[in-house]
Parts: sequence; C-alpha cells; structure tokens
Amino acid sequence: MTNPSETQPDISALIASLAPERLPDAHEVAVARERLDWRRAHTVAGSDSGASVTTQRPAAARSRTLFASVSTPWRVAGGGIAAALALTLLVAFTPQGGSAAAAFLAQFRSQQVSAVEITPQSQADIVRSMNALGNLGTVQVPGGGTAADPQAVARQAAAQSRTATAAEAVKVVGFDLATPDPARLPAGLSKTPTIKVSPGTQVRFTFDKAKAQAYYRSTGHPEVSLPDKFNGAALSVSIPSAALLSYGSGSASKDELIVAQAGELVVDVQGNVSLPEMRDFLLSLPGLPPTVVSQLKQIQNWNDTLPIPVPVDQVHWQSTTINGSQGLLLNDNSGVGSAAVWHANGHLYGVAGTLKADELKRVADSLAVR
Amino acid sequence: MNGDNHQRHGRGVLKTDGPTSPTVHDEPANGYVPRFDALFARFYPELFGLVYRVLGDRMETEDTLQEAFLKLAEAAELQSRPDAEVGAWLRRVGLNLAFNRVRSARRARERLQRVGRLEAGDDSSASGPARSVELDEQRAAVRRALADVPERQRECLLLRHSGYSYTEIAATLGIAVGSVGVLLARAEDAFRVHYRRLEGDHDQPI
Repeated sequence: MTNPSETQPDISALIASLAPERLPDAHEVAVARERLDWRRAHTVAGSDSGASVTTQRPAAARSRTLFASVSTPWRVAGGGIAAALALTLLVAFTPQGGSAAAAFLAQFRSQQVSAVEITPQSQADIVRSMNALGNLGTVQVPGGGTAADPQAVARQAAAQSRTATAAEAVKVVGFDLATPDPARLPAGLSKTPTIKVSPGTQVRFTFDKAKAQAYYRSTGHPEVSLPDKFNGAALSVSIPSAALLSYGSGSASKDELIVAQAGELVVDVQGNVSLPEMRDFLLSLPGLPPTVVSQLKQIQNWNDTLPIPVPVDQVHWQSTTINGSQGLLLNDNSGVGSAAVWHANGHLYGVAGTLKADELKRVADSLAVR
Repeated sequence: MNGDNHQRHGRGVLKTDGPTSPTVHDEPANGYVPRFDALFARFYPELFGLVYRVLGDRMETEDTLQEAFLKLAEAAELQSRPDAEVGAWLRRVGLNLAFNRVRSARRARERLQRVGRLEAGDDSSASGPARSVELDEQRAAVRRALADVPERQRECLLLRHSGYSYTEIAATLGIAVGSVGVLLARAEDAFRVHYRRLEGDHDQPI
C-alpha cells in the first residue's frame, strides 16, 4: 500500500497494529468450540425457544462441558480438568524433604489447595505430555473400559453427570450439602438451585514396558526405554463424587452462580517403583513446562495439596481465607465473573458466578449445612 | 481498481472468495453437526483477528465470538449457504456485536481500568516497556479515531485493512462491489481527520 504523501498516516499500518499478536491455535479453537456446546445446551435448557438446536449434539458431548461455564474462571476448566489431574499426579509424586520417600505405597489425599500459574501454552504442553504418557501404558476406567488420554477420562466422568434432588445428591456425594445463605444471593437469582451430581470414578494407569517400547520405536527413539521396574507399576486416581448447585436467573439473563462440592481426590501408587523414581520419571516427561514443574516443587505439603491451575492471562488470583479455610479467590480479567475454591473438612468446595469477587466471597463465606 | 488481488494483511487464514469457491463441508445426509463444526473451525480464527482489532482484548473477543457463533448455531438454514455467504454474515454479526460492546459504557469503563494491564499482556512484543507503552497509546488513538468514523465507513475501513477483498467487504456490508471503493475513500479521509486531531490533542501542552 502506498502513501499519497509523507505526512499522511499509514492507515494500513495503523490498523494492522490493532491485530492480535497471534490467532487462536487449534487447542484454543477446540476449547472455544466446547464452550459453545456448553452454552448452547445451557441456553436451550433455560429457554423455551431454540428447538432447532436442541438435538444437534449428543447428550454426552453437551454434558462433558459441565464445568466449562461462561465468562467465569470456570471457562477454562474444560481443558483445565486434565491439567489439574496432571498437576495432581506430579505434585503427589514430587516429595519435598524426602520423609515420605521411603513409603512403598504412596497416597495423596487432597486437603488443601494451591494455585499453580499456567499460560495457554503451558496448559497445552501439560495436556500434551500427559496424553503422551498414555503411550507408555494403559488407562483403565470403571467397567473395564480403556481411555486414550486423560482428557477423554475427564470427559467420560463429566458425561456421567445427571440432575438430582437434594436427597439424591447427598446420597451420591456421601455428605450433607452446604448451601449459601439465601440472603447473600444476588438479587435476581433463584433461591432454589438446580442440582447436578457427577458420580465419583477411579482411573488407573498401568505402565507397560512393551507398549512403551513400541511407542519409542515408532517415534524414532529406539534407544529410550521404560525402566524395567516401571513395568506393571500403577497410578490410581480416585476422583470424588461431586454435586453442582446452580442458582440461575432464567432465560432473560445469563447471570448464574454455581456452588460445587466434592470429597477428597486420592491418588495411590502401587508396584515396584519408589516415589523418587516416580517423581523423576514424571518430571522428566518431555515437553513439561519448567515453570510449572518449578511451582509444583515449591508446594510444601505436596502430599495433600491439590494444585489448581490458574490461567494467568485470564484470571487474577489471591490466596485468602474463605469460609474459615485457606483458599483461592479467582477474578476473571474481564470483570464478568469470579470464583472461590477451598478445601475444608475433607471436602472440596468451589463457588463461581457472574459476580464481583468481593460479592462472590460473601456468598462463599455464607456456605453452611442448613 | 478492484482490489481483490490486493495483498492481505494479518488474517492468517487461507481463504477463497465467492460463491463458486469450494465449501468446507457439505453433508446433506448427516447435516448439521459436521457442517457447523467445519464452519466453526474455518471461521473462528479469522473472525477472532477481525473482532480483536475492534476490542483489543482476547477475552472480550472470545465472548463476542461465542455470541456470533451461537447465532449461527440457531440459524440452521444459513449454515447450508456457501461459505462466502456464511463468512460475510459472521463478519457482519461479529462487527456489530463488537461495536455494541465498545458502546457499552460499562465495558468501556472496565476496559479503561485494565487497558494497561491487558494490552501489555496481549499485544506487546518483546521490545521493552517504553515501546510497549508507545504502542498501546498508538492503538488507543487508532481505536478512538475509528470510533469517530461513521459506522458503515468504519467497518469498511477495518475490513479492508484487515485483508478482506472488495467482494468480501461488499458481501459483509450488503452493498455493491462497485460502491466499496467510494466508501473506503471516504472512510480513509474521515479516519485521517480524526486521527490527526487526536495526534494534535496529544501534542498540545496541557
């Protein structure tokens, strides 16, 4: 493009300066696509129109984005669930101080939460690394099924979710549900939640030397091999049952508040592998972002701290006391939504919604069994 | 000049023009799902680039695109149209939604509050904070100048300098291809006036 004169602003260059530094990559497009599924399912459920879009995706595909809410920090959770699982595994087997390293059978039980900052790139890297881990063994899910990768496992788990009454939900999660003080709920939101439950599940990953060998060979690295003692060693992740209470505002508005509660997340390791060996192995997975590994190593109580991946490009976070326990307050950069996550009495709690952080915290602080 | 062969800037998406161009997917037997998926995969990144130019914020851009594609999801008949038509429709809807957001006073306030923080994270190249501030100021000035250009002209300007052809611009704005050149010339004149005025304001001692 030419400029009529030296003094003319170069319009093309000026408008080009507004362009994003990069366009969304395939992963981001996929996350956006999932988020759209969720929104469509959500919108249709809450309105009496849109019949033409109700049956266009299978139910499992719609419910798999249960946590991928709109315009809140939960929005990233679709991909983040897999990342959280991955981080939990890494933390669980990254002992600090070594006192637990002698344990032959190790167990991680989530009792508190800690933020681990991630970027879209590092999240993608983690998911990719964990997916590659699937090439070194077999992922087993209940019912004898196998899944290709951790994301598929997360999707399968979410697909099990269903609407329930409060009594059914209590039965599924195994404890009394806490609810917010109705007086603390923002005006316009229903005082009665709709409840969904997601039954717990167990995912087991068993290392398989022969499979790993074939994978390394196929990727042009025949010189690499899985150490013998890993053959048959297993990681077992028990994902707790969860209940989701949604306080909506009807179809006219997209305002929403979600209260999630679940039990502990438990990870076991079994077999002939020691904890330091497992740690070294997991931390050496190719492609893991060093900044994330470094943050995980800094978590003091590694054996009971659930790392919560926080996408720092989208969310501000602070560690604070929520409902009497240490937790995380997350604030969507767009100012549209916020969330709180904390662990108390063996239960994991999360509150998210289209509220300002201080308002949301007041709701979270009011949570109690009534 | 027609401009259809003009070099394109920054769309980052391979694209063909016109109703005769190949479509991403036509699946009459299986209908909606693969067609919508293909449209989403094809147009999401491209539309992101366009809408981001208006909003300057990745999250707001994502939210806007969600709205646009929700509308597309509800428009079953539109999905069966050729890609060029769907693309034009998406650009029109995307730009309308984006400018609506810009007009919203609440959004504007929030944007002002976080402009430094987010734009630095989103936009700045690794060339130092001073350069970053300078670029941010320039972008802000360009957006303000654009905001003062009449709506139709503004959209034409934005589309053209985002790499769209006259044919695509005409389809997006619902005007004749022959009218694009005139509209664009007016838009550029208007933009120059407003941008210079802002530069002048900026240079004035306070």
